[in-house]
Amino acid sequence: MAYKIERRKTDLTPYVYICEESGVMKLEGESYHENVFEFFREIKEWLAEYLKTDFDSFTFDCELVYFNSSTVKILLGMLLDMDNSKNCDKITVNWITTKNNRIIIECGEDFEEDLDNLTFNLITN
Amino acid sequence: MFDMMEYHKTLRECKITLVYSGPLWAEGIGGVASTVKKRLEYDDLPLETSQEVFSVFVEQMNNMLMYSAEKSQFVADEIHPEAPKGTFIMGVQGSKYFIQTGNVMEDKHVDFIRDRIDYLNTLDKKQLRAYYKQQRLENDIPDSKGAGLGFIEIARRVSSKLEYTFTPYEEGYTFFTLFATIEGDDHGI
Repeated sequence: MAYKIERRKTDLTPYVYICEESGVMKLEGESYHENVFEFFREIKEWLAEYLKTDFDSFTFDCELVYFNSSTVKILLGMLLDMDNSKNCDKITVNWITTKNNRIIIECGEDFEEDLDNLTFNLITN
Repeated sequence: MFDMMEYHKTLRECKITLVYSGPLWAEGIGGVASTVKKRLEYDDLPLETSQEVFSVFVEQMNNMLMYSAEKSQFVADEIHPEAPKGTFIMGVQGSKYFIQTGNVMEDKHVDFIRDRIDYLNTLDKKQLRAYYKQQRLENDIPDSKGAGLGFIEIARRVSSKLEYTFTPYEEGYTFFTLFATIEGDDHGI
């Protein structure tokens, strides 16, 4: 069965939506839980397996407003997994933020420099 | 009885607007974080400044959580039968925010943390960004408890060099204080 989850956002953890069938993953809100690794464990594991499969397209919309340095490591890990996967050319990452969110913009720019294969769009509204 | 008036006056004189001292665990920090956020909203700062202050707060709390050697018997939740303890203050002086944390740590961490902060204090903002970018790809330094990136994040957001003190505590332990300032706009308070 295709994987699908939706987790409500809390003060410390983001809104998460994943629908394998439509090839969509979304993160919104904030992420600064002390144990952010535990929070993302299942998602990371699913992603690693999913990237081995054949799919038509996969879109990751990242619209986080704030996240801590531990989350940066997790996001980078997931982005590199995507970038190094066999279907990397079918992957689009939309890094969505607002014009005045310099911290998130800089982080997006730095991620973009480390990614060679997937499509990375830095979108500032 | 504790002299509340003296304490009250001290907080006023030192421009301290928020104090937290006690057990540190994720959900508890969340409560303090909400208060910090409310305060920053109230001050009507540009997003950039409020995010800088908030980010320094989050990373400093996280550092205390990882390094504090003093444990509270307070049962945070099932996963954390005892929570590390620490003290946090935030203050506003004119357009400048300051965040100071204090916690007891084992002597063995002192050199690592001191070296780390001293090194970060030699870098400018551009170098800090490049260093951060490099370090987020690295696996954590064995004894760093994953705090490597947190200190760099703090150094990136502050407007002057990081200040710290290490004071001998009980045998084998040191009291660590980290002081960070973030320059706001001209609103003041």
